[in-house]
Amino acid sequence: MSQVNYLNHDKSIKSWLFTLDHKRIGIMYLVAVSLSFLAGGILALLVRTELLGPGETIMSADTYNQSFTLHAVLMIFAFIIPAIPAVMGNFVLPIQLGAKDVAFPRINLASFYIYLAGAAIALTALVVGRVDGGWTFYTPYSTSVDDGILFITAGVFVMGFSSILTGLNFIVTIHKMRAPGLTWNRLPLFIWSIYATSIVQVLATPVIGITMVLLFLERLLGIGIFDPALGGDPVLFQHFFWFYSHPAVYIMILPAFGIISDLMGTFSRQQVSGYKFVALSSVAIAFLGFLVWGHHMFVSGQSALSSIIFSLITYLIGIPTGVKVINWVQTMYKGSVWLQTPMLYALMFLFTFSIGGFTGIMLGVLAVDVHLHDTYFVVAHFHYVMMGGNVIAALGGLHYWWPKMTGKMFNETLGRIAAALVFIGFNVTFFPQFILGTRGMPRRYYDYLPEFTNLHVLSSVGSYILGVGLFLILGYLLHSLFRGKKAGSNPWGALTLEWTHTTTPPDPHNFHETPIVTRGPYDYHLAPELFGGDGAAGDGHEEEAEVTVPRGQATS
Amino acid sequence: MASTAEHPVHLQHHFVSSDQQFDASKMGMWLFLITEILLFSGMFVTYTVYRVWYPEVFDGMAVLLDWRLGGLNTLVLLASSFTVALGIHYAQVDNKKGLVTNLILTFLFACVFLVVKYFEYSAKIEHGIVLGDGFAPHGVSHGVDYATYDVMFAQQFFSIYYVMTGIHGFHVLVGMGLFAWITIRAMKGHFTSAYYTPVELCGLYWHLVDIIWIFLFPLLYLI
Amino acid sequence: MSHAEHHITPIKTLVQVIVALFALTILTVATSRLDLGAFDVLVALAIALTKGALVVSVFMALKYDNKVNAVVFGIGALFVIVFLAFTLFDTAFRGDLSNTTEGTIMEQKAAEEALQQREPDPAALQFNRSNE
Repeated sequence: MSQVNYLNHDKSIKSWLFTLDHKRIGIMYLVAVSLSFLAGGILALLVRTELLGPGETIMSADTYNQSFTLHAVLMIFAFIIPAIPAVMGNFVLPIQLGAKDVAFPRINLASFYIYLAGAAIALTALVVGRVDGGWTFYTPYSTSVDDGILFITAGVFVMGFSSILTGLNFIVTIHKMRAPGLTWNRLPLFIWSIYATSIVQVLATPVIGITMVLLFLERLLGIGIFDPALGGDPVLFQHFFWFYSHPAVYIMILPAFGIISDLMGTFSRQQVSGYKFVALSSVAIAFLGFLVWGHHMFVSGQSALSSIIFSLITYLIGIPTGVKVINWVQTMYKGSVWLQTPMLYALMFLFTFSIGGFTGIMLGVLAVDVHLHDTYFVVAHFHYVMMGGNVIAALGGLHYWWPKMTGKMFNETLGRIAAALVFIGFNVTFFPQFILGTRGMPRRYYDYLPEFTNLHVLSSVGSYILGVGLFLILGYLLHSLFRGKKAGSNPWGALTLEWTHTTTPPDPHNFHETPIVTRGPYDYHLAPELFGGDGAAGDGHEEEAEVTVPRGQATS
Repeated sequence: MASTAEHPVHLQHHFVSSDQQFDASKMGMWLFLITEILLFSGMFVTYTVYRVWYPEVFDGMAVLLDWRLGGLNTLVLLASSFTVALGIHYAQVDNKKGLVTNLILTFLFACVFLVVKYFEYSAKIEHGIVLGDGFAPHGVSHGVDYATYDVMFAQQFFSIYYVMTGIHGFHVLVGMGLFAWITIRAMKGHFTSAYYTPVELCGLYWHLVDIIWIFLFPLLYLI
Repeated sequence: MSHAEHHITPIKTLVQVIVALFALTILTVATSRLDLGAFDVLVALAIALTKGALVVSVFMALKYDNKVNAVVFGIGALFVIVFLAFTLFDTAFRGDLSNTTEGTIMEQKAAEEALQQREPDPAALQFNRSNE
């Protein structure tokens, strides 16, 4: 480790806690969101264990209600929303842009601590009271129960600030800090999707802020805006909540799209098909995502007019999403597909996300939704999009950038085994839930009819397989930190700046001199010096995982 | 690091030039401002929804808010916006005295605004018009019998009034803190025509606070 | 780009704008004293929008600023309208289903069965199917 990099140039604790380096902040976020994921995941396993049989299995109904609520709040607000943007966005985005850092490094560090503070406040709810109404906090239930809700809403409010600051930082960075030659048409698709995500973060998150303020005041003082007993309107709360929370699902999924686009291009050794369409479809999804929130409220008693409008626009979301999926498949066609672990996750994503997406359109159909609303079908759809979309893509991205972040290669064989376990476990967990839902199993219920037992047991067994897969990943990634093979500067043969123009791990200032970009992010046909011009580099690299990168060396 | 001659003290290492830094800061501020607008939009939506549902209640309740005090505060905030704009003008032409004077004036206008607001709030609270379910108008003053205003959905109007003006007042308070800070920096001579970014950004923030009030005043006090 | 290009708004313009803003404030108070009926709200909003536009374009110098900031501001305003309009699609039209009945499902079912008992024998309608 003679080479100076961002990890070893100063090893004191203080240099980490007060760092302004986007890479270190990304790593700190990685640790924090992983802990949230671990806690949320353990709660999920407990919930699934409880559901192994009808009636009480391992916990009381009260504990069960609190467990699934906490699982949801942790997973959504403390894990999925910050996961890809704050971890991989922070680490990769400035380097892909050829910048030394994000535009506002101090705000970046502040957003991390605000996130921690928000999570801490939300968890205080556990100590002072209990929260059991699910993550949506619907009134009037949420304003008529325990004081725990006060802390959860305050926590969500504070975490929202962190999200806004991250998004704001990224938008300005993308606009103002691109390297010479890096035009909008040469941006890696990961950047495009983070850009769209950031727009949503900036526009939607303030509304959850004011919603939480009003909910807080409603619970504390009884201001009569949402509480029907005082003349308020609980459906108005749902509008406010979903004005944020529906776009928020695009905060969760858009960065995943970006990772998949990068993986598809890199591991197929081809230009991503329909680059402009894939890029702009992210922005289109971000925009349309604001116009569909009412599809969560088809049975809430909202007007039929708004139900019809929201349903119609919901179908439209399928268009830009379909554009992406078709282009990803097209990218592999006649490419040299290299089935390394990150690419396995990208393929997995195509499968699971497509199921999640199509069932989403089914739920957007007014009449069908009345039947399926609040059943396990929704739970399954949601997890196919969030877990099968976001988490699978995040795992792909984590494996893809792990060598760059840590300088170490993980064990490829274990990586593939874990990927298989995750894929099998995930589908066995959630596919039966579609069937349960269509047969009328309501979501969030503690107890169920005996005829649902077999499918519930199958689902729980699947969750254990999934758990084993995820713990295996944790195990070999941690192992690689100490025993992993040293990674070269560009083990995957990618063409984006973080691979071609930096050392592994990167220098504290990213680049020794500002890179000048002369080609697109997936222009393999313009990089014959890397791959012999015929895209044949995909074979025979599994052992050493090293590709000589003349351009990268030239700048150091 | 070699180019210290062309490297002004205010330029952070990750920016290429002062212009890039200024543009980035300004765009960041505009993005922050739209988050503020979206934050307030929640209250404006609440207002509109309830106004469409209960127009006669909202019409009636507006009478209880004193348009003279509201109008005075509107003029005070507009004047403070003007002094901020003047301040930036003086910063751009390197007139330190003009800058400091106008920043202090802005701060004083903000104080006046909050003092007026305080009198408005206390006159309401005195008559049982409070935020929350303790809402119970009573008593008589200036020929107005408050008890007659204790009708259904009156509480919603005043909840909206308190939350909107309360959050707005909080922003005024934050603005005062910001102006105290940049006034001190301006006195120390930190700002020149080459570098006045903090003045510019605080000014943008302050104008937004003014714009919010431009909408709050007619919606709550007049119509 | 250099600092010489930073737009400096002349004091004269600033004074003109503040005078206009004061005048509009007096105007909005004056019009609210008159009874314009439904136009009350429209006039008040139009005046407020004009005042807001003056502050944004001159005091905040958006008129002379980098275009991207104007786009940012425009998008913010657009989404406020989206939020407002789509919420009103519900709240202003709440309960707009005209074909619903007050009766419960059980009552409707009973009424339907009563209707069915009055229907003619299906065999009498056989000729309808022979065309298929």
